[in-house]
Amino acid sequence: MDTLTIFRREVGSYFTSPFAYFIAAGFLLFCGILFARDFQEAATQTTTINPAFIPAVISFLMVFFAPLLTMRLLAEEKREGMMELLLTSPASESSIVMGKFFSAWFYYTILLALTLLYQLVLFAYAPPDIGHTFLAYLGIWLYGGAMIAIGLFFSSLTENQIVAAFLSMITLLILYIGDAAGQVIGNIDIARVIRSLSLQGHFSTSFQVGILRAEDVVFFAGIIVLMLYLSIRTVESHRWR
Amino acid sequence: MIEVKSLSRHYGDFLAVDQLSFKAKQGEILGLLGPNGAGKTTTMRMLTGYLPPSSGTALIDHHDIVRDSVETRKRIGYLPERVPIYPDMTVRGYVLFWAQLRGTKEAKSRTDMVLKQFDLYTRKNTLVRHLSKGLKQRLGLAQALVHDPPVLILDEPTIGIDPQQVIEVRDVVKELGKQHTILFSTHILTEAEEICDRVLIIDHGRIVAQGTPQQLQKEIYSTQYYVQVGGGKTADVRALLQSISGVAEVSAEKDGFLVKSTANEDLRAAISTSIVSAGYTVLEIHQRRSTLEDIFLAAIKAAPGAQAGKKAKR
Repeated sequence: MDTLTIFRREVGSYFTSPFAYFIAAGFLLFCGILFARDFQEAATQTTTINPAFIPAVISFLMVFFAPLLTMRLLAEEKREGMMELLLTSPASESSIVMGKFFSAWFYYTILLALTLLYQLVLFAYAPPDIGHTFLAYLGIWLYGGAMIAIGLFFSSLTENQIVAAFLSMITLLILYIGDAAGQVIGNIDIARVIRSLSLQGHFSTSFQVGILRAEDVVFFAGIIVLMLYLSIRTVESHRWR
Repeated sequence: MIEVKSLSRHYGDFLAVDQLSFKAKQGEILGLLGPNGAGKTTTMRMLTGYLPPSSGTALIDHHDIVRDSVETRKRIGYLPERVPIYPDMTVRGYVLFWAQLRGTKEAKSRTDMVLKQFDLYTRKNTLVRHLSKGLKQRLGLAQALVHDPPVLILDEPTIGIDPQQVIEVRDVVKELGKQHTILFSTHILTEAEEICDRVLIIDHGRIVAQGTPQQLQKEIYSTQYYVQVGGGKTADVRALLQSISGVAEVSAEKDGFLVKSTANEDLRAAISTSIVSAGYTVLEIHQRRSTLEDIFLAAIKAAPGAQAGKKAKR
């Protein structure tokens, strides 16, 4: 119930501040430009259309956009003193953190839904494999949730939004390029460990190519649960300091 | 309604609140008076459940703040020193949010009610960021009151607003004190005198004096009398006044004398009798009340260890 109250207020604040619209505009602009180029190439040359193209683009874009979405979530509450009122209300720490997380994930889901427009364009010209499209979108949706949970955690650590954004961007970038690093390392066992720890490694060779593996779903869900847990504990720790 | 039992709080080595104990009855406005850094905010934060006490506890409406935090939090309305706002919310949205978060029954009608109570209803669709400081303060009070808590904790609610608004806020607090138990902190002495039923003077985390403003005047400060005498030389009259038993000090002031008593007994009769029997006349005699300011300074001076604690100040 409290989670829902926090969630509703938070979603409301996304849609009443210009900031969220700027983020959405930037996000969609990037996706649009890259889609148009890919589409043009596919039309003039004889490469095939990849329905996972936009999700793959988003997996990289979100390294930079997820921190922008999440940096204010808890850091701002602390700086503005709002956390003091929240923590003195009967709401629990977990409902505060969960409300915030789901609101950011909800906002991301809307952004993602808007990019389905490109899939509609594809359907008009060269119908893609629906199963492949669906899996790529399911994958990037979970992937985004994990990224947002990581960003939320860094937002819980500091009062400074810039610091929160910077730390989560670095972390997400490492978790993104871990996939590529895993592919160039000679020792296969080390490479395998690094890849399976990276976020991208659970997307690029499964969801992105239209494969559903339980381990990837569990990995993303696990990251979300772990990060939420750590964020809740961090918020709770304000009481013991 | 509020019962604080030897509540203490450390920040590292610094002892911010030291074994504080006090009670506030239902419908009482209790003032916490003290200089900045005396431990007022820390005490309030512990009572509201924001900070855990290092030791000791408190009961809010018979619920323990340590063991039963959620229950006590439901029963408290809190106005922090700086009213936190969500700038992009409307006035009504903001108050409604707190109403819902605190599980208020019929949150919407209750919200409209407090908005009317604080004259904010006509601005219910204004964005919070556009409110003046005084209106934000009223919004803070509306937020604290929306779930109709039995206990209100107000941390320096009159800081940083203009004099007209200060008077408004004081009137509101006095009015609220009829139904709610209010813990009210301030470092303005006249304010405590005007509003509070009872005052606790705290310094370095300890109570240095407590009582009604009237009691404090009696207890702590020696009584003074202004006496104006007709006839006689100044030196003679002074000597005469000095000789009365119970007089500590006599000093000249304006056209008369200021007589300080040693004990807390009424010397007016003794003074007038001796003046008249010496053949002079009493033109004027009145008891001079000490202000809370005097009491405050006297209390802090009189408290043992007041100097020692200074080094540890934040």
